[in-house]
Amino acid sequence: MQVDPAFREEVQRRSGRRFDACFQCLTCAGGCPVVEDMDYHPTQVVRLVEFGQKEKVLKSRAIWMCVGCHACVSQCPNKVHIPALMDTLREMALENGVEPPEGRIAGFHKMFLEEVRKRGRVYELGLGVKYKLRSGTVFQDFMAGIRLIWKGRFKLLPEKVKGISELRELMGGGNGKG
Amino acid sequence: MVKGNGAIRYYPGCSLESSAREMGESFMEVARMLGLEMLPLEDWSCCGSTPAHSTHPRWALLLAARNLLLAEEQGAEELMVMCPSCYVRLRQAEREILEHQDKAREVEQALGRPYQGKVRLRFFLEVLDKIGLEGLRGLVKKPLHGLKAALYYGCLLSRPEWITGFDVAPYERFLEDLVRTLGAEVVPWPYAKQCCGASLAVTKPETSDRLVDRIRDYATRAKANCLVVFCSLCQMNLEMRGKDSPALPVLYITELLALAAGSAKAEQWLGKHLVDPRPLLKSLEAQKGA
Repeated sequence: MQVDPAFREEVQRRSGRRFDACFQCLTCAGGCPVVEDMDYHPTQVVRLVEFGQKEKVLKSRAIWMCVGCHACVSQCPNKVHIPALMDTLREMALENGVEPPEGRIAGFHKMFLEEVRKRGRVYELGLGVKYKLRSGTVFQDFMAGIRLIWKGRFKLLPEKVKGISELRELMGGGNGKG
Repeated sequence: MVKGNGAIRYYPGCSLESSAREMGESFMEVARMLGLEMLPLEDWSCCGSTPAHSTHPRWALLLAARNLLLAEEQGAEELMVMCPSCYVRLRQAEREILEHQDKAREVEQALGRPYQGKVRLRFFLEVLDKIGLEGLRGLVKKPLHGLKAALYYGCLLSRPEWITGFDVAPYERFLEDLVRTLGAEVVPWPYAKQCCGASLAVTKPETSDRLVDRIRDYATRAKANCLVVFCSLCQMNLEMRGKDSPALPVLYITELLALAAGSAKAEQWLGKHLVDPRPLLKSLEAQKGA
């Protein structure tokens, strides 16, 4: 087992949180709505971070399945901020060039942010179609999609903000790995 | 916000005029009936939503901060937000800027001007609460007798205030009383605060199906004939997802208000639902007539 203490420090620094208060009571895992789809449940992710298991954590399915509903931290007796931990771990996974095991989730985030960079607002219909084509899931929910369009649930034309250059500039900064 | 003659400045967010237009249109209708003038934040941009904070925390801060700066520059003392997710993103950015000097500097450097913290963010329920039960009771012309509502708060609204910046708990009594004031019944049930799967409805539909089935199953067992929601993503997921549970009409709280107020415009948005609430509403009318 390769222990990487620097990893633990980095996660702490970047998230601005500490995770060593976790005493593995499993309250978070019990309340997590998506734990059934995780390879490591939230408590295990915390423990793996504490043990400096960088590779296991960054390659895990769990960090992508977390939907950020905050049930875990709401119930945690020690207020261990697992959603903030997951945000940091996803960002680090992308920076480290890890191929996300949940490629569609990571792909959706990326396409969404491309939309924001392009127009400053999300054009839902365009994003939906783009996601369906790129993820190869055109036939999944096809009829529901048609019904949504038919019923007028989408704005048909995109809008662009006037301050788009300012927006693009700020999204060009940071780690820039959009 | 409601004081004086000033208009209420609001942040629309990307869904309010698109997938959540029933929410937007019904809120604007209620505002009109109450004599409130609504003014959108000019040149607003996306708050970054889940994708930004999930993968690029810096962008989450800056995208939300741009809107706070715009509101401040446009002289808004308060900024009303309807989408819980947008609201939480804006609150998080506000907190980071006001509590951490390095974040305030980051915003100033990236956007070329500092945020002074002059804007008070308000979730739309706070605006309704301020009008109060008596004020809203005055709108009721067609009480919704026979409607059995399971109030579904979803995840972000119902987490503690120290995490998200808003907690529905102090408003629960008000909301239940409001729904009763509109003539509907509030059914007690245990799944009001369980997540619907949020954006996983797009990327992992089978996960969202499972969560929505559980929610609708409990609502049905509690003998609800509709779900009442406060979030655009919850609304869409509860209508569209789920496989093994009976479909239920999913109405925004603002639609309930407009319907009870006898709004003639309701027809414009009721037809946009994937689970059409009109047969249920008609059957209630018929029961009244009988």
